[in-house]
Amino acid sequence: MSYWYDAHLILIQSTFVSLLLALSIQFPLRMGVFSFAGIGSYGIGAYAAAIMTIRYSWPAFAAIGAGMVVAMVAGYLLALLVSRLDGLYLGMATIAFTLILTVVAINGGSLTGGAQGLYGAISTLQTGQVILVCAVVVVLLALSERGRMGRRIDAVREDPELAVSVGIRVIRMRRMAFVVSGALGACAGGMNALLRTTVSPDDVGFSLVVLALTMIIVGGSRSWAGALIGSVIFTWLPQVLQAVGDWQTVVYGVIVALTAVYVPSGLLGVAQNGYRRMRRRSGPVAGATEKATGSEEPGGDSAPLEPLSEDVPTGGTR
Amino acid sequence: MNTPEDAAPPAVLEAQDVAVHYGGVKAVDGFGLKLEAGRICGILGPNGSGKSTFLAAVTRLVPLTRGRLMLDGEEYHNTPAASLAHRGVARTFQTVRLLPDLTVLENIQLGADLRAGGGGVKQWFRRTAVPEAVEEAIERTGLGAVRSARPGELSYGMARRVEIARALATRPRVLLLDEPTAGMNQAERREVSQLMQKLRDEGLTQLLVEHDVPMMVDTCDRLVAMKSGELVTEGAPAEVVRDPAVQEAYLGKRGRNHA
Repeated sequence: MSYWYDAHLILIQSTFVSLLLALSIQFPLRMGVFSFAGIGSYGIGAYAAAIMTIRYSWPAFAAIGAGMVVAMVAGYLLALLVSRLDGLYLGMATIAFTLILTVVAINGGSLTGGAQGLYGAISTLQTGQVILVCAVVVVLLALSERGRMGRRIDAVREDPELAVSVGIRVIRMRRMAFVVSGALGACAGGMNALLRTTVSPDDVGFSLVVLALTMIIVGGSRSWAGALIGSVIFTWLPQVLQAVGDWQTVVYGVIVALTAVYVPSGLLGVAQNGYRRMRRRSGPVAGATEKATGSEEPGGDSAPLEPLSEDVPTGGTR
Repeated sequence: MNTPEDAAPPAVLEAQDVAVHYGGVKAVDGFGLKLEAGRICGILGPNGSGKSTFLAAVTRLVPLTRGRLMLDGEEYHNTPAASLAHRGVARTFQTVRLLPDLTVLENIQLGADLRAGGGGVKQWFRRTAVPEAVEEAIERTGLGAVRSARPGELSYGMARRVEIARALATRPRVLLLDEPTAGMNQAERREVSQLMQKLRDEGLTQLLVEHDVPMMVDTCDRLVAMKSGELVTEGAPAEVVRDPAVQEAYLGKRGRNHA
């Protein structure tokens, strides 16, 4: 391969690992589930892969798979535990899950290597294999954004009550989100541990929560493409920002704050809006000129018995 | 239409002595009704009389404080709301609840997805809903021209039609409509009324919650009047509207007779 590829191999690997990590937070978020359990799963996956490789010399994919299974089970149990929580409270509870796992890693004795972590997890995992796994994941997630599954996920996020009224089993969908998130997070963690041959409690802590959230907010929270944009930017940005030295974190903060305020749909949202606007200019939709908002009460409600005249009634006329 | 009680068709859906209390607030307190197969039943009542809460209770969106709910004679008050939809009970909401990022077509497909079958992993790869159900719902509600529009681009009346179309696309046996014509003009109201009557003739059991008394009298086979969460009276539409207790509760001091 080219010189550039060899020189940047670590960054290229990190980009794909970050993509999976970002997707592990994004997938539940698409269903309105504000869960950081994917980060905890990253830790589970990293330690499981390292332990299975060092102690039992399992092949790379078996070691990663073992971590994924553990994380999926943990995700399901966590989903049962926090089933009554929502929004910020759910976010807090799942961050707690992640922090607890960090504490377990530090105090895990010889199994987790304590504060130093584990070294020498040498495997045959290739960068090409990592990219292949990412491609499969992206295809599956792209499918989940279209057609029936896409509509159902949208409904669960936008209006759970409506979703159940059209027969969507919202609770089951949310549990599935935890399980998928666990699988993605653990896969990212496992691959990272084997690529780096090492894992320590510092690698799986709170900083990953911030990183994953940053990637999704800046890239876009609704589609895998947003996660990809975010993971590329925030893996390569430190490289670009080496010039500003200690000010890196400040630049980071400013970028995140600006995106959150001015482009809440992320860079992907900006691109999509531009594309939609271009298409709309070429042909407006027939018979759809007035605007109505879903939340407004109809105009006829205040005087229910008066017959409505022909042109009064639309509640949300612009 | 004034069928005597004894000749009434069997009840598809029945609610008995339903109560929904929120803390000290008795939103619904001992209300009940029977939806007879292939008939349209209407609930009449002033704002805040508990009609929508009752509908939410019947569709299992809010828990019952007490009462019995039966579908085909079988109790269902522990059935999850989603399962109820699979058993053929569809509803619309008082406010327009469409997914803003989806087109009209996709919003209606969301209803038809129910009949596409195959949960779990299989649904991941399924692209289209039941196309016939979607097309039929679009045609019936006259939404062909706006199928690729987004909800934000629709007039209120049009958006309400999408709500009805989405419910129809689930191919229900029982359809519960919560103020389906609110915000519509007279012509649109007439269309909805005609659609409901056509669906009834095809055997669909319906419940209508509405404010438009003349429309209810025209559309419904039976009216149930509600006030403060309780039953006032029930019977043939013309009689219910003339009932002094209904006039008092619903029509207020004006006492106008819309029948």
